[in-house]
Amino acid sequence: MKLWYSFIKELQLSSKSWYFYIEIGMACVLLLILVFVIPAESDDKVDEYLYAGGLPRDYQELLYRGILDEEDEPIPGKRVEIEVEDDSYEALLFVTDTRNLYFVENLEAVRTLADKEGAIGIEIVTGKEGSLIYRYYLQGYESLKLKNLYRLLHNDAVNPEFIRRHLEVQTVKSLGEESLSLNNKENVLPVFLTYNGSMMGLFIIAAYIFLDKQEGIIRAYAVTTSSIWHYLLSKVGVLTVTMITTSLLIVVPLMGFEVNYLNLLALVITSAFAFSSLGLLVTTYYRNMMQSFGVFYILIVAMMVPSITYFLPGFEPRWVQWIPTYHLLEGFKDIIAGGGNGPYILKISLGFVLGGLLLFVYANHRFKKTLTLS
Amino acid sequence: MVKKITAIFLRDMKVSLRDFIALYIIAFPLIFAVVINLFVPGINEATVSIAMLSGDDSAHIDYYRDYAQVEVFETPGEVTRRVAQRDNLVGILPENNDYYILVQGNEPEGLVDYVKTLRAYEYFGVSSADTSVEFVDFGRTIPPMKKLFVNVAIMLGSVLGGMLIALNIVEEKVDNTISAINVSPVSRIGFIIGKSIIGILVPVVGIVIMLIVTGFADVNLIQILMMLLASSIISILVGFIEGINNDDVINAAGNIKILFLPLMGSVAAAEMLADKWQKFFYWIPFYWTYKANDMILSKSGTWGEILIYTAIVIAISALVFAALAPKIRKGLEG
Repeated sequence: MKLWYSFIKELQLSSKSWYFYIEIGMACVLLLILVFVIPAESDDKVDEYLYAGGLPRDYQELLYRGILDEEDEPIPGKRVEIEVEDDSYEALLFVTDTRNLYFVENLEAVRTLADKEGAIGIEIVTGKEGSLIYRYYLQGYESLKLKNLYRLLHNDAVNPEFIRRHLEVQTVKSLGEESLSLNNKENVLPVFLTYNGSMMGLFIIAAYIFLDKQEGIIRAYAVTTSSIWHYLLSKVGVLTVTMITTSLLIVVPLMGFEVNYLNLLALVITSAFAFSSLGLLVTTYYRNMMQSFGVFYILIVAMMVPSITYFLPGFEPRWVQWIPTYHLLEGFKDIIAGGGNGPYILKISLGFVLGGLLLFVYANHRFKKTLTLS
Repeated sequence: MVKKITAIFLRDMKVSLRDFIALYIIAFPLIFAVVINLFVPGINEATVSIAMLSGDDSAHIDYYRDYAQVEVFETPGEVTRRVAQRDNLVGILPENNDYYILVQGNEPEGLVDYVKTLRAYEYFGVSSADTSVEFVDFGRTIPPMKKLFVNVAIMLGSVLGGMLIALNIVEEKVDNTISAINVSPVSRIGFIIGKSIIGILVPVVGIVIMLIVTGFADVNLIQILMMLLASSIISILVGFIEGINNDDVINAAGNIKILFLPLMGSVAAAEMLADKWQKFFYWIPFYWTYKANDMILSKSGTWGEILIYTAIVIAISALVFAALAPKIRKGLEG
């Protein structure tokens, strides 16, 4: 009962604070960004700028036909104008499934695009015995593996049709996980939920505690009948309620009934508990926000690392999986994707509860020990 | 006047050093630099990851090593368990004198297609040696991802300077020393300058060290410093207004969070949004700072362009100052 009163009192106090409205306002801004700024679908085709003007006319025709052969449907070339450093140049555009191929009429324009804008620039020239040479204009920092891939894709050793046939007959066995197809808006949502929601408890609970330390509230617990853990858990509770509110504010308007809210709440509550408990523990080692700032900063930077691998699926060192926000991002991604990998969400929620409990118990122990020192 | 301003600055420096905060703000860009140096080569090398059997033909394994990150395992069961993990990794396993591709099912389509393409070329015995490709490069060694991270770190450093000012002022308020300024011989403008020096000087030191460590020592430092000073104005203004309006660290921390939104938004807009959306970000000084820093780091900007961008940042800051000046004045009187 005391815990409940303590929690309600903290909640009433916090709902009147400016900070609470900042969180609500921030969630609204993020929602507006998701709704109005981030496009649901984007054209992720790669632009390639090619120059084949040095080839005889009939070679050029063969080249264009070669591109058409790669596709199921014939692609008509379209005359377009491209802007390169205040000049405009004519180009013939072929749009394939994965690429926009611009055959530009001026080599210098292709070189400038590669040099100044980092675009893919290719000059096609004739080699020995009538073969074609693809001259790639690269920046210089491209990896050897990427260069090897370019080398492999342009070769004279095999008919492209054989490769295409082989791709169709290859055996691909699946372990049966559901494919997570998210549009751009949905793909950003887990990042907002993780970093604006769950993880903020880490930093903000510290601000609450230091304020109370400053005002002597924590010391007062040494002479009250209320337990220190009531006080600490009420703070965690307030943060959790704030995180639930802001998370739902973003998810409900965007996703409607398409997500499993039970899973979502489980993950928000358990992760908010774990991160707030970590924040509590850190505050026991310092007297004020400024002193503890460095530790929080390092923790936050470390927790942000998985967001890099989240957006770059090709870059995923295994040690990143040891950082809790990796699983939080993956869990939110599963939930937003609709189907939701129930056992995985349960596993990480349990992980956050257990980790949070350990941190909370230790933080409580340290608070009791340092009560008169605060 | 200079003596009094220096006294305020030295006092803030002493407080900040005592709490290690100044040291942190110098150290953070350095930590960033180390992290960037550790990360970027991996990101630049990233292609796809493939799990294979160690007992497979070594030429078969080496073939894939030329194009992908390969992990080898003793048994098919181990490969399956590895593929089942959360990250995106595809298995290639033998079956009936051929190989099949094992996927978890939730990998991006492009990654699976990549491995299938490699398998098809391997099947026909084609390697990168059979190429008809030549490479010409522009001699750049720093990947764009590194430039982006360094640029963001520069901007964060400048915002941290503002944060330092805000936290220092909040501390003055808590100690009730801010009202004492009104009866001291230092003028209000002297107080503002004295309080601001630390927010500019400390990040500058950290950022210069970061540039050296990340391999950007040869950029035009004068241009970087000019941009840093211009963008510091907005951080300082926000720092002052945060410090003056907030009586406690919770609100100060919350408000600083608001500052990060336009900062990260500007970076995302400049990097990801189409041209038609760019104009919605013109009002944010960080947008121009990011673009100017990008030019300086890639050594592609002329002095004229950098000066124009600096002027835009200063002009926006001046407008913000005009709007906030009465509040700052009132806050200092209060």
